[in-house]
Amino acid sequence: MSNLEDDLRIALRREEPAADFTERVLARLNQPAPAEPTWLERLAVLMRPPRLQWVAVAMIVSVVIPAATVEYRGERAKQQLLVAMRVTGTKLHQAQRKVVETGRMGTRL
Amino acid sequence: MALPAFADIVREHQGMVFSLAWHYLHDRALAEEMAQEVFLELYRHLGSIQSPEHLVFWLRKVASRKCIDQTRRRAFWPKFGLDDIPEPSAKTRQADPMLSGALAKLVASLPEKARMLVILRYQEDLDPSDIAQVLDMPVGTVKSHLQRALGVLRSKLARTVGEIAL
Amino acid sequence: MKILGGLALFVLIGTAGYGQVLDLKGLEKLAAKASDVTDVTLDGSLLRLAAKFLSADDPDQAKVKKLVAELKGVYVKTYEFAHEGEYSESDIASIRSQLGAPGWSRIVGVKSKKDRDNTEIYLKTGGAEPGGLAIVCTNPKELVVVNIVGKIDLDELSELGDLGVPKIDIEKAKPAKPADKKDND
Repeated sequence: MSNLEDDLRIALRREEPAADFTERVLARLNQPAPAEPTWLERLAVLMRPPRLQWVAVAMIVSVVIPAATVEYRGERAKQQLLVAMRVTGTKLHQAQRKVVETGRMGTRL
Repeated sequence: MALPAFADIVREHQGMVFSLAWHYLHDRALAEEMAQEVFLELYRHLGSIQSPEHLVFWLRKVASRKCIDQTRRRAFWPKFGLDDIPEPSAKTRQADPMLSGALAKLVASLPEKARMLVILRYQEDLDPSDIAQVLDMPVGTVKSHLQRALGVLRSKLARTVGEIAL
Repeated sequence: MKILGGLALFVLIGTAGYGQVLDLKGLEKLAAKASDVTDVTLDGSLLRLAAKFLSADDPDQAKVKKLVAELKGVYVKTYEFAHEGEYSESDIASIRSQLGAPGWSRIVGVKSKKDRDNTEIYLKTGGAEPGGLAIVCTNPKELVVVNIVGKIDLDELSELGDLGVPKIDIEKAKPAKPADKKDND
């Protein structure tokens, strides 16, 4: 007979990450932030031919944003579906386990 | 805070943070990435850390939250099956490394909160009231989840390595 | 999503066409008292959208994708409560009443005195294939209700055992008596 709690302490003992873990954390801290555009650069953007600029904006709005919205909704719905199936499966599994443990079916067919 | 001092903090606590993520996610690369995120967030919030004890509490809390959020985002599917755990030829206790591996996988297959509860209890040796503070849950809920999780682990493990007594 | 405690899990799996959608509106008031709630409502286009996003390369998701193909709706409500007594049988009386309607048969009912859990599984019968599946799970601090509507193959369902859906050794549905609500009290 084994002691499950002791076995869990052994199985879940702390482990170290890769040897360069600290260096990688520091490297990410040291990454420079992107430079802010100067006022001149911002002005240059505003001075670009408006027609092309607004066509580009219109294209982005009409294509990218709806696509992103659908993707977001789809991913969220997928996650909800998987959670639902997990909950269902868990409860079915627990019921089956209890049936096996008790060795009886408690209801009529 | 100077980077060398922060590096010392990372080295001191990286095992705890990484292990929380590793035992929870059972994906080494993802666990390292998650652990890095925790320390990057720590760096941004260093001003709010009040003491060494608070630091440990903060790290556990943020690591737990990030792990649970990560699995919810990725719809991490728990594996209830034991197909990848070899069946013993006789119902005798497995050697420790195999038992530990089987147990770790079973823990990683628990539902999100139960999984983190078990890890905080048996990796960090926290008692239920401390776990309740880290996870912002009622102590009674922590205790009942732990009890249920142990029951699940015991019965699943018994199917592969023989009778387990708690 | 929060998960509600002790919610009877009603899973409806319909035979030959649609299973009946349970009216779960009466449970909404429990959300205010619950410490954790899960509320999933997927039907029609949203369910089809979710299925599209399931990965065929992931074996687990592929199994779910196949199972979901014939479903019309998936409804899950779970409630966890910090204390006992936050919900009562009267809160789920209307659901039990719906499951007492003709066509529904309770095929499994297990009670655990130790955990004070009560789990009931219902099938909606009436055709060659089993109909809707309902599962009700109650516990002093947890309530779970799942309603899955649509045509489902019990063999496919039992193949999902590795996903947490157990292999249920249930014979193909026989004509069954309506559920006896009094057994569940």
